[in-house]
Amino acid sequence: MKRLLIGVLALVAMMGVARAETLRILMETVPDTEQVKSLLSEFKAATGYDVEIEAISYIDMHTKLVPQLIAPTGAYDIIIVDFYWVAEFTKAGWLLPLDEFAQRDGVDLGRYVPKVMATTGQVDGVTYMLPFYNYVMGLVYRKDLLEDPAEQAAFKEKYGIELGVPKTWDEFKKQMEFFTRDTDGDGQNDFFGTVTQAQRGDCIMMQSSNFLYGNGGRYYDENWNPLLNTPEAVQGLADFADATLKYSAPGSEGFCFDEATAVMTQGKAYSIITFNNLYATINNPETSAAGGKVGITGVPGGGLMGSWGWGIPKSSPNKDGAWAFINWVESFDIAKRRAIMGNAMTQTALFTDVDVVAARPEAPSLEPLVAEANAFPVFTYTVEFVEAVGREFNLAASGQKDPKEAAEAAQEAFADLLRKDGLIE
Amino acid sequence: MAAGALARRDQRFGLLLTAPGLAALLLVVLFPLGFAVFTSLFDYTLVHPNHDTFVGFDKYVEAWNADYLPDALWTTVKFVVASVVIEFVIGFSVALALNRVTRFKNVYYIILLAPLLMNPVVVAQLWRMILHSELGIMNYVLGMIGIGKINFLGDPVAAFWTVVLVDIWHQVSFMAILLLAGLAALPREPYEAARMDGASAVQTFVHITLPLMRPVIAVALLLRLIFAIKTFDIVFIMTKGGPGTATDLISYFIYRSAFFGLDVGRASAMSVALLLIVLALTIYLYRYMKSLA
Amino acid sequence: MGGAVRWRGLLAHGVAALFCAAILLPLLWLVRVALTDKLTAYKLPPEWVTPRLHNFVEIFTDYPFLTYFINSVVVAAGSTAVALPLAAMMAYAFARYDTGGLPLRLFVLSSQMLPPVILVLPLFALFLWAQLLNTWFALIIAHLTISLPFLSWLLVAFFQGDVRLLEQAARIDGATRFQAFLKVTLPVTAPGLLSAGLLAFILSWNEFLFVLILSGPQTNTLPVGLSAFQTQRGVELALLSAATLVAIAPVFVLLPFMRRYLIKGLSLGALK
Repeated sequence: MKRLLIGVLALVAMMGVARAETLRILMETVPDTEQVKSLLSEFKAATGYDVEIEAISYIDMHTKLVPQLIAPTGAYDIIIVDFYWVAEFTKAGWLLPLDEFAQRDGVDLGRYVPKVMATTGQVDGVTYMLPFYNYVMGLVYRKDLLEDPAEQAAFKEKYGIELGVPKTWDEFKKQMEFFTRDTDGDGQNDFFGTVTQAQRGDCIMMQSSNFLYGNGGRYYDENWNPLLNTPEAVQGLADFADATLKYSAPGSEGFCFDEATAVMTQGKAYSIITFNNLYATINNPETSAAGGKVGITGVPGGGLMGSWGWGIPKSSPNKDGAWAFINWVESFDIAKRRAIMGNAMTQTALFTDVDVVAARPEAPSLEPLVAEANAFPVFTYTVEFVEAVGREFNLAASGQKDPKEAAEAAQEAFADLLRKDGLIE
Repeated sequence: MAAGALARRDQRFGLLLTAPGLAALLLVVLFPLGFAVFTSLFDYTLVHPNHDTFVGFDKYVEAWNADYLPDALWTTVKFVVASVVIEFVIGFSVALALNRVTRFKNVYYIILLAPLLMNPVVVAQLWRMILHSELGIMNYVLGMIGIGKINFLGDPVAAFWTVVLVDIWHQVSFMAILLLAGLAALPREPYEAARMDGASAVQTFVHITLPLMRPVIAVALLLRLIFAIKTFDIVFIMTKGGPGTATDLISYFIYRSAFFGLDVGRASAMSVALLLIVLALTIYLYRYMKSLA
Repeated sequence: MGGAVRWRGLLAHGVAALFCAAILLPLLWLVRVALTDKLTAYKLPPEWVTPRLHNFVEIFTDYPFLTYFINSVVVAAGSTAVALPLAAMMAYAFARYDTGGLPLRLFVLSSQMLPPVILVLPLFALFLWAQLLNTWFALIIAHLTISLPFLSWLLVAFFQGDVRLLEQAARIDGATRFQAFLKVTLPVTAPGLLSAGLLAFILSWNEFLFVLILSGPQTNTLPVGLSAFQTQRGVELALLSAATLVAIAPVFVLLPFMRRYLIKGLSLGALK
């Protein structure tokens, strides 16, 4: 009898171990999510955990996440965190520090590119996330046009300098002007020097940041003093308004990523400043009329730093399982296989890994993009900052406000939010 | 005496009938409503989601002083008036036409229903594609017939009307169906009498159709008005309120306060204020409609 | 005389046809996009290539489209089925006995005057407490906040018609109030009630924010499912179009069978 009881107990205990537990993750509908999905069966084989990924649109993620994070126990074991939300999530105390887990399992945090780790990894020395993928912005340009001898000669004659991959902001400005033209002679430009995405909010902030950096401007100094009304910043905004109104497709005032990318993939523009992980789409003949004809380089002055990190919410129902997953998915082997599939890498060694380079020849050229990228203001009210400043920038880019005036209004809105967050007096 | 007892029993029966619905409403309406009013008096943020700090009417003052709130309110008023009025005119015309025809009625009816069954996200994305100023089919066609390209979503004035027209395309069938339902229920006798008297079509419409339709028109306008004030998806997907503040509607403004500004207290204050405005408007319309009846 | 009638008939067809064309043309573009890919869809002048059905296959194989569809049907039908009888009773009391007067009617509608974003947080808290998040039940209840007030107001107009005379006749014959309501009023107004129910169904069918916040992968409805086709790497226009067409197709298939019913139902308490 007693033996039977022990036997039953042992069986129950074994069932407990063998019982498939499910880890739930909220992710975004992007190829990087698909890459993770394709490897899940291996995680299941190694640990017994089932993983259920709920992939939704970026614009809905923050809204969906916040109530779940406030709840004592949420629906998600693991979340991915956009850099926009890092300060908000950590200040609200929604993320679990990962240092103990990382030390226990000997995870070398030094394997990540330092700038990525600073963006979606650590906050004030505490590790809250492991970086998942970067979305540093780069300059995608039409290689075929740069190499065309006729274009080279015409450019040299007009500007007195060689036509080549732009190294300085001024060079890029000249190229934007040079390539904007009316090819069918109907009096309207139909090929554009660049494509801007000036839609109010997230879209304009992402792209116009590069124009700020290109002019040597920054959002804030080391003491969080806002710098949006400096001459460099005003020039950056003026350049962006010029690009939108003169060198980009009509309607760019209302474009976001999708409309802007469509102009580039229809072969109607010379360049676009966009996420480096969109390069593959633009260079693929199946999805782009410019396929095979484009190259990618860093934005002169450094592009915008963007990245995602894996985090465990404090409301996570299964924190150990969550860590097991993050540790697995970010382990070198799995990260490498994701990189080969096209993941925008975060670990330094991957950019020059032989197998990765064999699959993606552009990989080594992406490392400097990440290393030279510039930070965006990340504080508790980043999401609101994007809305307020994005509105002013959009007013300037749509010609409704003078760039200087818009820059002053943006400076004021930024300062208000920094004061609200207690970062400045 | 007997009349009084009868009235009481009528009253009791009325309450009995409303009881189950009211019970459900207490849960799904009173609770959230009470929460909104209560929260509007506290410093309730998503970073600190609690009712610890009572701030009185501070959040209402804050809401009133919010940057660009007047622009959003004015844009909302313009949007609601434009979309409801145009929808009413088109909807009524279509309803009158459909009430008259017998052949192809089913075909018309199915087509009429189609936009209503598409969700707003799809409607907005479909139109964004069609109206792409460089790559969209609309500007291509306009260019071919010599009108020239329109900057549908980049020009502030054009963007406002684009949003209004897309909303109309999506919602006008709603109005048409309601009005058609009203028309189909009209008694025939007055029309026959009018025909005997040799009244013209316009006279019949003005003196018979419109007065008889008044209750249905009032309900249709009121419901559509209330839904129009809450319009969100089309702006959220198509313009994000831009260019500038040209299409910034109050519901998106409040959404940003709550989920981007993380300030649920302020968003609640704005909502409660909005509620009071709409309530006053509803009472006015209701009284007006009763006075006509 | 006969000429004028015919002329007006033609005018009516003209108006209806014009209106239908305005609705159909953008939908035809949707069909075109669904049958090709994004690169081709954006090509100008339009390039006509052999239509391909791969988008229609992909939404079923690569995405849980069927689950979304079933969830949408269950939630929209469920909330309408709950709301319709409750609203009919309430509206009847409003119309016949003016129960609660204007204040009660305004209370019923008041939640509709708040932006949904304010309603959803307390509902989230409620369903979290009741452990009902990510269930059909929660969505059905949440959608009552929309359908119940809407129907209660709309249906008042249904009960104000000539049906009152029939009820009076029944009452004189000895029926109780409830019997008159149940046996006379409801059957007479039933087709109208159902067409109002159709509108409530549509409101629930298209509702987005409540579903986004209150549901999970098992219970997401079409609006949330379809919005996932908008990615930061671009909007999957072809898949979105295909999914939309498949989502509205059942209506086109079902409507011819329901046509007599619907057209009869399209009248507010008519007695003919």
